[in-house]
Amino acid sequence: MADRVEVAVVGAGPAGLSAALAAARAGAQVTLIDSHRAPGGQYFKQAAAELWVGNPSRHQREGQALWQKVMEAGVRFLPETVVWGTFEGNLLALHGPQAPSFLQAQAIILATGAYDRPVAFPGWTLPGVMTAGAAQVLLKQQRILPGKRILLAGTGPLQVVLAAELVRAGADVVAVLEGGRLFTASLRHLGVLWGQWRRLVEGLSSRLTLSRWRVAFRPGWGIAEAHGRDQVEAATITRLDQDWRPIPGSEETLACDTLCLGYGFIPSNTLARLMGAEQDWRPDRGGEVPLRDGHMQTNVPGVYAAGDGAGIGGGPLALVEGEIAGIAAAARTGHGAGDVEREIRRLSPALARERRFQQMYAALFTPGPGLYEWSREDTILCRCEEVTQGDVRRAVALGADSINEVKAITRCGMGDCQGRMCGHLVAQCIARETGRSVTEVGVFRPRPPIFPVPISALGRHAADDTSAGAAEAIRR
Amino acid sequence: MNTSRKMGAEVAIVGGGIVGCAAAYYLARRGAKVVLLEKSVIGGEASGRNGGGVRAQCRDRRERPLAMASIRLWVGLEAELGFDVEYHQGGNIRMATNDERMAVLRREAEEELADGLAVEMWDRDELRRRAPYLGGVFSGAKYCPTDGTANPILATRAFGWAARRAGVTLLTQTEAVSVGVQAGRVTSLTGRDRDGGVLVEAPRLIHAGGPWTPMLSDTLGIQVPIEPARSVVAVTQRMPPLFKEFISSHDLGVYGRQAREGHVHIGGIGTPGRTFDQGVPAGVIERLARGAAEAIPALRGASFLRTWTGTLEMTPDRVPIIGPVDGVEGYILASGFSGHGFCLGPIVGKLLSELIVDGEPSLSLREFRLSRFAETVGSAQMGEEMDSPRLRGMEHY
Repeated sequence: MADRVEVAVVGAGPAGLSAALAAARAGAQVTLIDSHRAPGGQYFKQAAAELWVGNPSRHQREGQALWQKVMEAGVRFLPETVVWGTFEGNLLALHGPQAPSFLQAQAIILATGAYDRPVAFPGWTLPGVMTAGAAQVLLKQQRILPGKRILLAGTGPLQVVLAAELVRAGADVVAVLEGGRLFTASLRHLGVLWGQWRRLVEGLSSRLTLSRWRVAFRPGWGIAEAHGRDQVEAATITRLDQDWRPIPGSEETLACDTLCLGYGFIPSNTLARLMGAEQDWRPDRGGEVPLRDGHMQTNVPGVYAAGDGAGIGGGPLALVEGEIAGIAAAARTGHGAGDVEREIRRLSPALARERRFQQMYAALFTPGPGLYEWSREDTILCRCEEVTQGDVRRAVALGADSINEVKAITRCGMGDCQGRMCGHLVAQCIARETGRSVTEVGVFRPRPPIFPVPISALGRHAADDTSAGAAEAIRR
Repeated sequence: MNTSRKMGAEVAIVGGGIVGCAAAYYLARRGAKVVLLEKSVIGGEASGRNGGGVRAQCRDRRERPLAMASIRLWVGLEAELGFDVEYHQGGNIRMATNDERMAVLRREAEEELADGLAVEMWDRDELRRRAPYLGGVFSGAKYCPTDGTANPILATRAFGWAARRAGVTLLTQTEAVSVGVQAGRVTSLTGRDRDGGVLVEAPRLIHAGGPWTPMLSDTLGIQVPIEPARSVVAVTQRMPPLFKEFISSHDLGVYGRQAREGHVHIGGIGTPGRTFDQGVPAGVIERLARGAAEAIPALRGASFLRTWTGTLEMTPDRVPIIGPVDGVEGYILASGFSGHGFCLGPIVGKLLSELIVDGEPSLSLREFRLSRFAETVGSAQMGEEMDSPRLRGMEHY
C-alpha cells in the first residue's frame, strides 16, 4: 500500500536535514529518506557507528546536533532507502528495509546532493584512481587510508583540506595539483570573503599543514596519464593553459600508488528530471540545474529542490535553501505560523551571502573546457559498458548528434550507474565532434528505475494485486 | 508554409522505422531513387523499442509465410547490411501453465507443421530437460528452433545506414505534413524540418508511419483503423549466460530474452492502454517483475536496471496493412504491424521493392490490403477464428 505524508524530503544531507527540520517545526508531518544508513550526507559525513573513535570533526559534530533537532521535531527517517521512480500525483516509489513501496506526498523536497565530477584521461580506470569523495569516505567513514603515496589533482580548497587530512592521518602526499591559476583571480574576490571567517581559518590551517609537511601545491597543473599494470604506479602530470588544455613538453612523471581527483561536483538531478522539472545549463553550478522560484519550488507544483542537487553551492548554502524549501513546503500543506513570505525574507540575507560566496567559488574553481580533452581515442568514457571516446566518435560519424542517439548505438549510459558517470564526458565529446552546444546534445533520458531495484522486491509488492492497483489508482 | 527545398524521387517514404528503412534499402539496391522522411531519428520509435524477437511460430496464418521468409533474410542480414545486428537463431519457447493453453498450442502446431514450419511440442519433462531455467509453473511448451532474436536498436539503424550508403536520401527530424494528389494519383510529399519545408516530387509514396499513420492518411480521406498502444520492456543488470531462447507465456503475461551483453529483457503481454504516452506506470514495472520472477526463478536475485517504452500501432485483427490503397494511385500503406513489424520488416521492405520495381511481389500481399476491414462486418469477427481476444491481445515481438 502507498503511505501518505504531507512532506517527503529526499536526501538527508545539509539541505534535506534543514528542510525536514523547518517543515516539521512548522507543523507538517515529514518523512525523510536517505540511501545511506546514517543521516548527514557527504557534508556531515558520519563515521559508521562501530568505527566511531570519539574525535568527530567540526562538520560531524554540527551534523549530529542538527540530526538531534530533526529527530526531536518528530521527523520519520527511512534509512538505506532509494527513491527508484516517481509517478503521477507526487507518488514516490521506494526500496528500503523499513520503507513502504510507495509514498504519496503533498509536497516533495529534493535534496539529492551531488557527486564528484569524473574526468577521463588515459589510465583513469586503473585501480588506485579515485575521486576525492571516495577518499573522504574511506578516511572519515571507514577510517582507512586510501593509499601510501597519494597524488591529489583537482581544483578548489577541498583538495587542500583533504590533503591535510591525509597527511595528518599518516599518508605521504606527493603533491596537490590545482588546475586553475588562483592568485590574480582570487584578489578580485577578497570582499566576498569578508565574514567567511570559518572557511578562511579552515583553509589556512590546511594550507599550513601542507607547508609544514613540505607538500608541493602546484597551481596550473593537471593529469596527463596514470601508469601501472594492475594498479597505479605513477602519473604523468602536465602544465595547463588558461583553458585547462595540456601544454605539450611540460610533462613530469611522479611515482604514486593513489590518485585522488577532485574536479568539482555534478548535481544529482535525475529525480528532478524524472519528475519533469525544467532544467537550465549552468556550468558554474555544476551542470544541469532545476529552475526554481524564491520558494525553491521547481516548475512542477509541489516539488521543491534545495542544496547541491539544485546547483553546487556547498553546505552552508544548502542549509539556507533547505530551510526555505521546508517552510514553503509546510505552508503548501497548510502549516506554519503567520506570514510565510516574511519567514522566507528573514533568510534572504543569509541566502544572498552564501550565493555570493558560491559565485566567487565558481569563478575561481570551475574547470576550464580543456578538462574534457584529456582523453584519447582509446580512453574509456563509459566505464559500465566500456565505451571509448573512439566508439562515441564513430557513432557521431554514423550521424548521431544527440546523447540519446549515441547511447542507443554505443550502449554508453546503459549500465549500472545509469549514465551518472559518463553523461558529462560523452556530452562534451559529442558537442566537440558535432559543433553543437552541450544543451543541444542533451542529457540521458531518465527512466524508472533510476537505481537498480531487486526484482524480488518489486514482485513482492505486486504479489497482492491491491498494491499495484493502489499505485495505479493513486496515479490518476 | 514556404517550401524552401525541392527534390525529385521515384519513391517517397514516410517513416524511418524498420519497414520504411528496409523498403528504402531494397528499392535503392534495385536502382530506384528514394527520399525518406522521418519525424525524429531512424529507429527512434517502436522499431528500436521492442522485445527483439524474430519468430515465425504463433503467428496468424496469413502472416506466417511472411515471417518465415523474413527469417531467411534475417539469417543473411549481417552480411547484407555490413553490420552486426546481434541476430541469433536461439529458438523460441511458448510456454503453457494449463491444459487449455497446451491444447491451443497443439492445434497451432498442427497448422504450423502443415505450413512447413518445424515446431516441437514439449511436455513437462521435456521442458524441464530442455529449458531447466524455467519455473515449475509451466506444464509444457511449443518450441520453434529457427526462431531467434536481434538487437532492435542496431538492426533498424543498420537498415538506415545501408540505405544511405545505397543512395537513399534520409531526411531525419523531418515531419511529413501532406501528400500532393492530382487526378487521383500521388504527385508529391511535403515535409517540415527545423529549417523550413521540403517538397519531394514523387509518383509513389510508401506510408510506414506506425501509430502516427492516421494523421497523414486522414488528410487523403483514407481511414486506417489503428490505435496506439504502449509496450514496456524492463532490463535487468548484466547476468551470466542463463538462456539463449526467446521465451513467452501468455498465462504469466511476460516474454523475455537475454541480450548478448547479458542483460535480460522482460516485456509484457496483455491488454495495453490506447495511448501515445511513453511514461512507465509503476504497476507495469511491478507486474513485469512478478512475471519475470515466476517465469525464470534465477531472476529473483537480479535487479531491474532500466525500462523503456515504445508505442505500437494495433489493427483490429492484429495483422498489418500492406499494399496499394484503392482510390489513390501510387499510395502504398505499410502500417498497423501490431507489434510484429520488427520481425517482418526486412521481408515487407523487400516485397514492397518488388511491388514497385517488378509490379508484383514474390509473395502475395493480398491478405494484408486495407479493404479487408471494409469487407467484414465490424472488426470483432476477425478475432473469432483465433483462440481468444486475450491470446492475441498483444504479442509485440
